[in-house]
Amino acid sequence: MTRIILFLLLIIIVAIQFFQPEKNENGGRKSPDEITGLYTIPANVQTILKQACYDCHSNNTRYPWYAGIQPVGWLMAAHIREGKKELNFDEYGAYSSKRQRNKMKRMKEQVTAGKMPLSSYTLIHADARLTTGQKELIANWIDSTL
Amino acid sequence: MKTIITGALVAATVTFTACNNSNNNAHDAHQHDTAAMAMKQGSSPADHSIAQVKPQFTNVDANVMASLTPVFGHYLHLKNSLAADNSAEAAGSGKAMEIALEKVDKAAMTPEQQKEYHENEDDLKEHAEHIGRNEGNIAHQREHFAQMSEDVYALVKAFGGKQTLYHDYCPMYNDNKGALWLSETKDIQNPYMGSKMPACGSVKEMIQ
Repeated sequence: MTRIILFLLLIIIVAIQFFQPEKNENGGRKSPDEITGLYTIPANVQTILKQACYDCHSNNTRYPWYAGIQPVGWLMAAHIREGKKELNFDEYGAYSSKRQRNKMKRMKEQVTAGKMPLSSYTLIHADARLTTGQKELIANWIDSTL
Repeated sequence: MKTIITGALVAATVTFTACNNSNNNAHDAHQHDTAAMAMKQGSSPADHSIAQVKPQFTNVDANVMASLTPVFGHYLHLKNSLAADNSAEAAGSGKAMEIALEKVDKAAMTPEQQKEYHENEDDLKEHAEHIGRNEGNIAHQREHFAQMSEDVYALVKAFGGKQTLYHDYCPMYNDNKGALWLSETKDIQNPYMGSKMPACGSVKEMIQ
């Protein structure tokens, strides 16, 4: 009985590898609605955003090798889809001006409160763990744009 | 095999219940902290101190108003559900509002009205969606309700609320940062604090 179950499980695991989700990559193409076209972002803040936020909040994800293994890749795709729906730095210019301000305020709240980046993300992405100084840099930048 | 499945189910149930409990406790503690300060907030001020506000647009098409009315209706229902600490009903109102927002008649709006509506549209949809899928997490529903209230307030001020609406303010919500809400009654029923301090807050404006 156990053997049959293990064998079936193996077959399923192998089979699902053939269903690769579409990747969130823009191949370096610039979007006309990028946030950089809207605000002046200091280089150090830009670096933090790229390292800690852009994987889920832009049109380009830096995929780790294990993204090719299912169901990890599927979970990641779902997270990215969700993240981009909430906030997409590459579509920021398309938001209404009120939404742009609101998103800025919420970004500051989330980062300051340590709710973002998600702990499930920083667990693996050590470079996305924000120090107090980095959080302040982001908060100060947001204050300067509002 | 059967034992394994049963075991897994039991484990899952325990985890789920545990999560729920910790959420509730955290929420209770928060409300308890702020409860003492509630005493300072009195009941609503006398009538003469309430500013009366007229909506900005005087030429709102009947179809536009008819399509916005359900949005405001679900908002008020949501507000009352939160005031009654009913997370499930709040979620239901959020979902209903999401559907009502899809049916708003933008075509019959003037360009100026469209612009005002567009300013708030996506935010409102996002908040309605979050409230709709966070049944059981009333603290999170209230976070979104606070932001949603800003958008609904902007729309009511621009288009009118079909009925007289009161702009209320709770100074204590969100670590004393405060938040507004709209109500169909002059009596305060605080949607942020719920049954712990239902009368906390004051009437700021009357929009009609």
